[in-house]
Amino acid sequence: MTDTHANTPAGATVSFSEINEALQSGAEQNPVHARSLMATVVAIAANERLPETHEALQHLASQCAIRAIVISHGTVPAPPATVSGQIVALTGLKPQFVDNAVAALRLSNLPTLVWYRGGTEELLRDLADLADRMVLDESEPFASWKQAQHLIDRTAFSDLRWARLTRWRTLMASFFDIPRVRDTARSFTHLRISGSDGVAAKLYAAWLTSSLSQPLEVELAIEPGRSPIERVRLGDAERSLTLRLGRSKHCVHTAMAIDGEHTSSRIASLGDQRLPSMMAEELRIRARDAAFERAMAAAVAAA
Amino acid sequence: MSLQTNPLQDGLRIEPTPGPTTLVIFGASGDLTRRKLLPALWSLSRGRRLPARFAVIGVARSENDDEGFRTIFRDSLREFAHDKGSTDEVAESLASRLFYVRGELDDPVLYARLRDKLKEIEGDEGVLFYLAVPPEVYGPVTTQLGQAGLSSAPEPAWRRIIIEKPFGTDLNSARELNRRVHEHFDEDQVFRIDHYLGKETVQNLMVFRFANGMFEPIWNRRYIDHVQITAAETVGVERRAAYYEHAGALRDMVQNHLMQLLTLIAMEPPIAFTAESVRDRKMDALLSIQPLVQENGPLANVVRAQYGDGWVNGQEVAGYRREPGVNAGSVTETYVAARLHLDSWRWAGVPFYVRTGKRMPKRTTEIAIQFRRPPLEIFRRVSSTPVASNLLIVNVQPDEGISIRFDAKLPATRMPLAPVMMNFRYGTAFGGEVPEAYETLLLDAMLGDPTLFARHDFVEASWALITPIHERWRDERAQEIPTYEAGEWGPDEADALIAREGRRWRTL
Repeated sequence: MTDTHANTPAGATVSFSEINEALQSGAEQNPVHARSLMATVVAIAANERLPETHEALQHLASQCAIRAIVISHGTVPAPPATVSGQIVALTGLKPQFVDNAVAALRLSNLPTLVWYRGGTEELLRDLADLADRMVLDESEPFASWKQAQHLIDRTAFSDLRWARLTRWRTLMASFFDIPRVRDTARSFTHLRISGSDGVAAKLYAAWLTSSLSQPLEVELAIEPGRSPIERVRLGDAERSLTLRLGRSKHCVHTAMAIDGEHTSSRIASLGDQRLPSMMAEELRIRARDAAFERAMAAAVAAA
Repeated sequence: MSLQTNPLQDGLRIEPTPGPTTLVIFGASGDLTRRKLLPALWSLSRGRRLPARFAVIGVARSENDDEGFRTIFRDSLREFAHDKGSTDEVAESLASRLFYVRGELDDPVLYARLRDKLKEIEGDEGVLFYLAVPPEVYGPVTTQLGQAGLSSAPEPAWRRIIIEKPFGTDLNSARELNRRVHEHFDEDQVFRIDHYLGKETVQNLMVFRFANGMFEPIWNRRYIDHVQITAAETVGVERRAAYYEHAGALRDMVQNHLMQLLTLIAMEPPIAFTAESVRDRKMDALLSIQPLVQENGPLANVVRAQYGDGWVNGQEVAGYRREPGVNAGSVTETYVAARLHLDSWRWAGVPFYVRTGKRMPKRTTEIAIQFRRPPLEIFRRVSSTPVASNLLIVNVQPDEGISIRFDAKLPATRMPLAPVMMNFRYGTAFGGEVPEAYETLLLDAMLGDPTLFARHDFVEASWALITPIHERWRDERAQEIPTYEAGEWGPDEADALIAREGRRWRTL
C-alpha cells in the first residue's frame, strides 16, 4: 500500500459527514475571502500526483472563485477529508465511491468541471453524468479517449494536451488566413513534428489531417528530454510552414516559405503553460469542442 | 482546387482576431500613446489577439525615427504596462513592427510620406487611424487623410478612424466635426471612443440586464425609486489646465461618460446584440431625457461647483484657482450634479441623479439603483431598525463588480433587521487579468465592431442636452461659483438638489 499520509495536504481533518460544516466554518473564519463562487472543480488523481494536483488547485482557487475537490484513488470507502479554505481533499477513496462523493460535495446549480488524471473506465463513465465538462489529463490517454467518444452526448470533453496545443494550432491556423497559403495547401504532403510528447504530437497531427481533409505523410521525431513540442513543419519538398519553439521556451517563431519567398514574420507567446493557468483557461470554456472531438476520434483511429 | 475559407479556424479557443491591420497613431509621442495605447497593444500581442500581419506607424511633429519610436514603446511598457519590464521576445517582435513618420499635421507632405510608408511595409490592406491629438486638429487631419486618398480603399482593404473625446465642445462644433469627418469617412468607418464603454462592468451591464430574466421585470418605475450615477476622482486638474479651463466637468464628463452609463441603464432591450440595435436603443433613452434648461426658467436641476483648498488622501492640496495654468478668477466647474427625468413608460417619475467631480475623497465610479421600499412595513413593530431599500450597485471602477443589498434578520430571538451585501467582483470571481478598456476598444475597432463606440447622432443628442446648460452659465457671466473643500463630496447645493425630494447622495 502506498503511503497516502505522505501526500495528504495540510488542513483540518474531518469525517466525510462533517465536510460541509468544515467548509462553512472556514468561510466564517475567513470572512474576507467570502466571494461569489462560479464552479466546482473536481480533480481525480493517483496518490502520487496528489501533491502536485492539490498545489495547482490551491493556486487556481486563489485566482478563481471555485470550490475545489481533490480525490486520490485508494481502497477506503469513506476516508477522512482534509479541508482548507474551499478545497476538500479525499485521500485514498475507493473508486466506486468517487461519484457519490462528488455528487455530495459539488455546488448545486453551478457548473462542475472534472480534471481527470486517471482512473477506471467505470469511474470515467460515472463522472461523465455529474460533470458539465471533463478535462482529461493522463500520460496515456488513448483508452479514455476511446471511451470518451461514446460519452460525448453526456458531457463536454477536452484534454489538457489539447489546451497546451491551442497556441500551436492558432499559429498554424493563422498561416491559413493568407489566401496564398490556402491556394497551395492542397499540395502539402508532409507533416513533421518533433518534441518529447508523442501523444501531443499524434493529437496535433490528427487535428491537422482531419481539418485539412487530405492525406499527409506524418513523421514524428519524439525524443525524451526535449520540450513537449519543439517544431512543426507542414509542406512539401519546396514549400513549408514552420513553427519553432524559441530559445526561451515561452515563444514560438513562425516561418513561411511559399514559392521561393521566405518570411519569418512572427514571434508569438506560448502563454502560461503551468497547470493552474491551463485549468483557469478550461474554466472559461463551457461548450462542447467539436474540433477536439474530431481530432480525438482521428487520433484514436490512427493509433 | 484551393480552400475558400480557413479550414483550421474551426473550434480554436480564441476570440476572433482581426485581418491584416496597420494602426496609424497621430500623436505618437503624446501621453495617451505612452500611457494607454502602446501598453494595450503589447497586452493584445501577448494575448495573441493581434493579426499576423500587424504594424504600427507613429505620426508626430517631433524629430524621431523608427528606432526612437521603438524606444518610446519599450519605455512605455516599463512604466505603464501591467507586466512591467516586459522586454521579452514578443515585445521585441512587436517593436520590430513599429515605424515612425514625422511631419506637420496640416502638411500634405506628411500624408504622402504616410502613404509611401504604408506601401513600403506592405501595410495598406487594413488601416486604422487613431487621432490621439488635440481636438482642434481632428478636422484638419481627417480632411488631409481624405485629400491624400487615405480615407478609402477598395475591398477587402479597409480604412477606419478612431477619434478620442472630446468630440466637439458644443452642439454646433460637434455637428461641424461630424460634417467634416463624413466628407471623407462614412459613419461605419468612424469609431468615437469613450473608454468607459470598454470597461468589463459596463459591458457586463448589458449581460446583467438582458441575459438574466430576473432583473428585467423589476427594471422600471414600478420597482425602482431612483438611480444615482457617480464618477468621482481624487486628482485635480493636473497637467490639463489649458484644456480643462475651457471644458469643465460638464463637458469633460457628463456629456460623454455619464450619458453613456445612464443610457445603458435606461435603454430598452435591443432586439439583438448588434451594434445598430444596441445603439438605437441607447439613442432612444438619450432622446427621452427631459431638457434641463427651460426657456426663462431657473436652472433648477443642475448644480456646479469648484474645489477649493483641502486635503485628499492625507495630502494638503491647492484649490482649483491656485492650480498651475488656471486663471485666478476662473469659474470653470470641477463638479457637476444633475437631476434628470426620462419621458418614457419605463422611467416616468424615476429621477436619475448624476454627479461627477475632481478632488473628491475617493476615486470611484458607480451606478446605484435604489429600489422602492416594500408597500407594507410589517416589521416596524418588532424591529427598531427601519427597513433599508434594496440597492443594486454596479462598480465601474476601480473594483469592478456588482453588489446587491438586501435586509436580513440578525441572529436573535426577536426580529432585528440589518442590511447585508452580496458581492460579485471581477477581480476574484474569474481569475486572469481583466482587460484594460483600451485593449477591448482597439481590438473592436480593428474587427470593425462599433457596438462600444458612440454614434454621430448620440454625440449630437448628448450635446443638445448639455450645450444649453453651458450657454446658460456663460450668459450668467457669474464672477463666483459655489465651492467645495477638496476632499469633500461636493457642495451643499448638490445635497440640497437631491434632498428636495427626500433623498440623499450615497455615502461612498
